[in-house]
Amino acid sequence: MDSRLLMTMQVAVGGAQKIGAVPHGSRVIATIAGGHFEGPLLRGRVLPGGGDWTLLRGDGVLELDLRITLETDDGALIHLASFGLRHGPPEAIAALARGESVDPAAYYFRTTPRFETGHPKYAFLNRLLAVASGDRRADGPIYTIAEIL
Amino acid sequence: MRTRPLMTLRLSTASPQGIGSVPHGTRITFPIIGGSFEGERLRGKVLPGGGDWVIKRADGVLELDLRITLEIDDGALVHMTFEGIRNDGAPGAPYFRTLPRFETTDARYSFLNRLLAVGTGEISADGPVHRIEEIL
Repeated sequence: MDSRLLMTMQVAVGGAQKIGAVPHGSRVIATIAGGHFEGPLLRGRVLPGGGDWTLLRGDGVLELDLRITLETDDGALIHLASFGLRHGPPEAIAALARGESVDPAAYYFRTTPRFETGHPKYAFLNRLLAVASGDRRADGPIYTIAEIL
Repeated sequence: MRTRPLMTLRLSTASPQGIGSVPHGTRITFPIIGGSFEGERLRGKVLPGGGDWVIKRADGVLELDLRITLEIDDGALVHMTFEGIRNDGAPGAPYFRTLPRFETTDARYSFLNRLLAVGTGEISADGPVHRIEEIL
C-alpha cells in the first residue's frame, strides 16, 4: 500500500469525562484542549473544543472516535473525524494508563482520519482516505497521518 | 505505513436501486447477492443479503457504505463493513479506497476484531474487486 505523509499532529488532552459502563463497554470522553499539526501541504493549530469519545470494549480493545477542528495558518477550517483502535500487551497498556512513556511499537494504535473542508485550497482533503499511527504521551497523543495513495 | 495482505474480496451485485436525490447527494443502493474472498489466513464466500449504500456527492465523489456477512470455509461468520470513496475523476487514475472493519465471535479469527485495514477497489467485468490489506 503506497502512502505519503500528510501531517504530524500533536493533540493536547484536557479533562477526562468518565461516563462509565455503557452497553458497549466503558466510555471515557477525552476533551481536546488544543494542539498543532504540520505537513508538506498544510499546517496550523487544533482548535479547543473537540474530543475523543473512547470506548473500552469487553475484549480489552480501546475504540477511538475523535472529532476535532483544524485551523490552517491561512485561516481555513477543517473538520477531522477519525475512528481508531488501541490495544497491546497488558504491561504496555498499564504503563500508558500510569502516564509513562511507552515505545509506540510496543502497542497497536492506529486510526483512519477523514476530513471535510469548504476551503477550495484544501478540497483535496475531501477526496482522500488516510491512516494514522499514534504515539500516546502523557499530555496527549501524537499522530503521524499518511494519505493512502 | 506497513501493511500485509488480508484478502481479495470479489462481490456480485444485483441491479442498483436508484433512490435518487437526497439531502446529501444522490443515493444509489447496490444489493450484494454473493461473492468470494481469499487470503492466506481466511477464505470463503460472501453471503447474499448485504449491500453498499452509496451516495454520490455534489463534488462527484462516491461515498461507499458497505455491510456484508462473510462465511469462512470452516463455517465462521464475520460481519464486515467499510466506508470508502471512489473518485473516478481523480488526477491520473481513479481513486477507489476503502476502510474495512470486521467483527467475529470465532476465536480463530478474533484478530479481525483488533485490526484496521485499507482496501483498493476496482470494477471488473464481474463486479467490484477489493484488495484488502491489514494496517500493521
